[in-house]
Amino acid sequence: MLRQTSVAIAYFCLCVVICASPPAQKQIDKLIKARSPGKLSDISSDAAFLRRIHLDLVGDIPTAQEALEFIESKSSSKRIEVINTLLDDPRYARNMAERFNIMLMERRATNEHWSEFLNAAFSENRPADALVRQILTPSASDTENVGANHFLTSRLQKIGQNPTDYPGLASDIGRMFLGVNLACAQCHDHLFVTDYKQADFQGMYAFVLHSYIRNDVTYPAIGERIMNKPLVFSSVFGGEQTTTGPRIYMGTQFEIEVFDKGNEFAVEANKETKEPAIPRFSPLRILSENLPRADNHQFARNFANRLWFLMLGRGIVHPLDLHHSENEASHPEVLDILESELITSGYDVKHVLRIIASSETYQRSSSLPKNTTSVSPTSFRSFPTKPLSAEQLKWSMLRATGMLPETLTRSETESDPEETKTVIPTDSVDMSAANQKFLEAYANPPKEAEIDFTPSVRAALFLLNDDLVVSWTLPASGNLAETLSEMDTKPLSKHLFLTILSRLPTDDETRTIENHLIEEPDKTTALSNLIWSLLASTEFATNH
Amino acid sequence: MHCTPIEHAISRRTLFGAAAATTLGMGGLGGLVRPSIAKRLQSDQKQVLFIWIDGGMSQLESWDPKPNTQFGGPFRSIQTSIPGIRISELMPKTAQIMHLLAVDRGVHTQDNSHSAGVGRVNRGDPKDRGVTYPYFGSAVANLLGPGESGLPPYVWVKPGSGGFQFKDAGFLGPQYGALAIGDGQAPDNLLLHKDISSKRDDLRNKLRVLADERFTKTRSSRSTEAQGFVFDTARTLMRRSDLFEPADPKDKERYGDTPFGRDMLLGKKMIEAGVTFVKVNSYGWDTHGDNFNGHASLMPRFDQAFATLVTDMHESGMLDHVLVIAMSEFGRTPRINGHVGRDHWPEAWSIAMTGRGIRRGTVIGKTNKLGTFVDSEEHDIGAFFHTWFHALGIDSTHDEYVNDGQPLPIAHDDMAPIKELLA
Repeated sequence: MLRQTSVAIAYFCLCVVICASPPAQKQIDKLIKARSPGKLSDISSDAAFLRRIHLDLVGDIPTAQEALEFIESKSSSKRIEVINTLLDDPRYARNMAERFNIMLMERRATNEHWSEFLNAAFSENRPADALVRQILTPSASDTENVGANHFLTSRLQKIGQNPTDYPGLASDIGRMFLGVNLACAQCHDHLFVTDYKQADFQGMYAFVLHSYIRNDVTYPAIGERIMNKPLVFSSVFGGEQTTTGPRIYMGTQFEIEVFDKGNEFAVEANKETKEPAIPRFSPLRILSENLPRADNHQFARNFANRLWFLMLGRGIVHPLDLHHSENEASHPEVLDILESELITSGYDVKHVLRIIASSETYQRSSSLPKNTTSVSPTSFRSFPTKPLSAEQLKWSMLRATGMLPETLTRSETESDPEETKTVIPTDSVDMSAANQKFLEAYANPPKEAEIDFTPSVRAALFLLNDDLVVSWTLPASGNLAETLSEMDTKPLSKHLFLTILSRLPTDDETRTIENHLIEEPDKTTALSNLIWSLLASTEFATNH
Repeated sequence: MHCTPIEHAISRRTLFGAAAATTLGMGGLGGLVRPSIAKRLQSDQKQVLFIWIDGGMSQLESWDPKPNTQFGGPFRSIQTSIPGIRISELMPKTAQIMHLLAVDRGVHTQDNSHSAGVGRVNRGDPKDRGVTYPYFGSAVANLLGPGESGLPPYVWVKPGSGGFQFKDAGFLGPQYGALAIGDGQAPDNLLLHKDISSKRDDLRNKLRVLADERFTKTRSSRSTEAQGFVFDTARTLMRRSDLFEPADPKDKERYGDTPFGRDMLLGKKMIEAGVTFVKVNSYGWDTHGDNFNGHASLMPRFDQAFATLVTDMHESGMLDHVLVIAMSEFGRTPRINGHVGRDHWPEAWSIAMTGRGIRRGTVIGKTNKLGTFVDSEEHDIGAFFHTWFHALGIDSTHDEYVNDGQPLPIAHDDMAPIKELLA
């Protein structure tokens, strides 16, 4: 009896110890601190945090009112509350769809079905493994997840007389979903990365080589031809010929199932509807079922790393598509934690983002620690200065100048959950013209990943001289310029800074405004200059 | 010490930024700033004017005619200002300034396709290291930098569309792409907003700079430097909108009022404004059919603009500072096909050059009697890249790019400068 009791007590204590292990974000912070070569930056101001978390989760800046309320709130839980509120904001899905589109498509041509697919996925907080599975599954004839195949079909588009870029598709699947860039291992073992072998590339290549773009449907859709023998390859530097079947990087080969002639198709081609035949042996189906799986660590590791990148501006493994043993993670245990959280939560994207956002590491200031002139980006001891995408700049400039109607607030939509999924109304500005102009000014050319803050001359010329943004700085129907025109200097300065930069002005800044209002006697002109100068500032152009 | 990709990318831009910021100052430069040629000469800035003759100019109808031979075609050859050297009768003006030029008739390159060949030749056809090498213009922009003009270091004057073109830059990154000027049109949004005066533009810019100074007080300056640099370059371009104004009618007449003539004139203007590398395109040379009428129509326009440009630059003294190159992606077949045309021929063709570091009045390389193959020492494009880098004072055998920690030679490992072309 006593023994049973003491065993029970022992178990209870063990449980307490396990159950009381610190939350993931605290563990992450401890690990970052432990490896830090010097002082850490202070925790950011409330204003800076609010702007940052808005941009990262909903792709938009807070309103002046939201900023002021947050700054003045005495609640000790206000930061975690705003994180949760924004994760449930209707703009979250739009923002994540935009950011994943940029990451996965690297500014290749868009497709409305693909956009809808991404929007729906993030609206439902679809698990990451399901998302990737749908992207890689050769499309069924029904209309489920229409648009998901755009990732594949866009890479197979024929450009002029160039051959279809199957190698490029194979490489991009590796880059985006496994974090490995095998492009330079097509013709020989990678010359600089010892982990990447020609066999690795060829194994991935075998999954895609028999696919093609279906032309019997109007949405992006992949079909497959029969694969009945392995790939034969050898290095261009000489050596033996080898063969491979489809093989996921670091995995084992899949056996190629060969069927008798006449029996190769699970579904025969339909001459009436023009639907193509579906082979019994479908390499892409095998890829979609086996790549995004818990026993394929590299999938979760890469995805977790990319989620960290979205929040912190740099991967724990960086570049994002170069995971290998000689490219050390800056904080391998942190990545282990994120990978584990992703898997155990059932690939819950919001769960991992919440962990990262709750960490002190994420909430640190971008101002340098005292007596420090520079910090290494790999240390994460300061928050970096991250770029804003063309989309984030567009929403933020519309919001800042007051040219965007107020978003649906959570309280308005609580009564009707369906409403949270609708598109935000934007009827004061010609949105398609604005979209076009912001993409032209700020988006990278196709196939150039958007990673760092790299401002361009064409963007500067756009802000300086294009009528679009300039016109937003002039007074119109309740916008910022009109509101400010009725204010005296001190409240004007406060409202200007809260609206555009989401913070309160310093005395110096208020003095600058005062001086400018004197040196430029026409108030409309002066206000336009002031608004413009803040929109053109690095503080606005970056997420810091 | 290796540069990590992020640090490397931003520090290149910082290098750009530092140069531009110190020389341009901030605001207060209202009105035009028109650097004189004398000032340009004084600065001895190294520059390149690269004339790209797109499609494949026929060497038999230009630099290396073979009249009265099996493949010679109907045109004759004419005497040039170099005794003993004759070129096609289609280039009378160029013939008169042959003593200013260097031509290699022994060019043998590897690719006879436009789609791959243009790229290979523009990149110096280096050994394959799994990276996309930059085009010559991006390479020079990177190696020499933008100079003091504040203008983009690589400007491309061409018919058709303009805008910022990143394709050429390869692994160097988009900031080494070209600012393309299409049909002589200024880039989008170049002209100051119609409702904003120059004075007001200076004021709003001052406010912007002040905001950035405050922002960077507690932070690393990389971001504000990058932002500052692009606004400085943009505003410099805006102040040089005169570059896009219509040309002097007298100049137009001398260069020829043709797309190529106008573009060569604009190219010269860009050089005089201090752009490091200017590429001027001429299109239409791919004469698979009706080669002789085609060249009879194209050559005079090329001849007039090219000869006028070289003469102008020689007379002004600019030719000592600017490397000038005229080439295509390959030559054309001696064999005349069934459409009275010539096809692609990388096996034996010619490249012309002059200017900085180049020997004047020399023709090297020989093709055989029929013009089918090179008879003398052959030169591939890699050797020309070595030669041109050398002429620009860049050590092509030791200087390297560093891409993500991977050192890369700037010209083909196994080739060397062509001494006979160098001054």
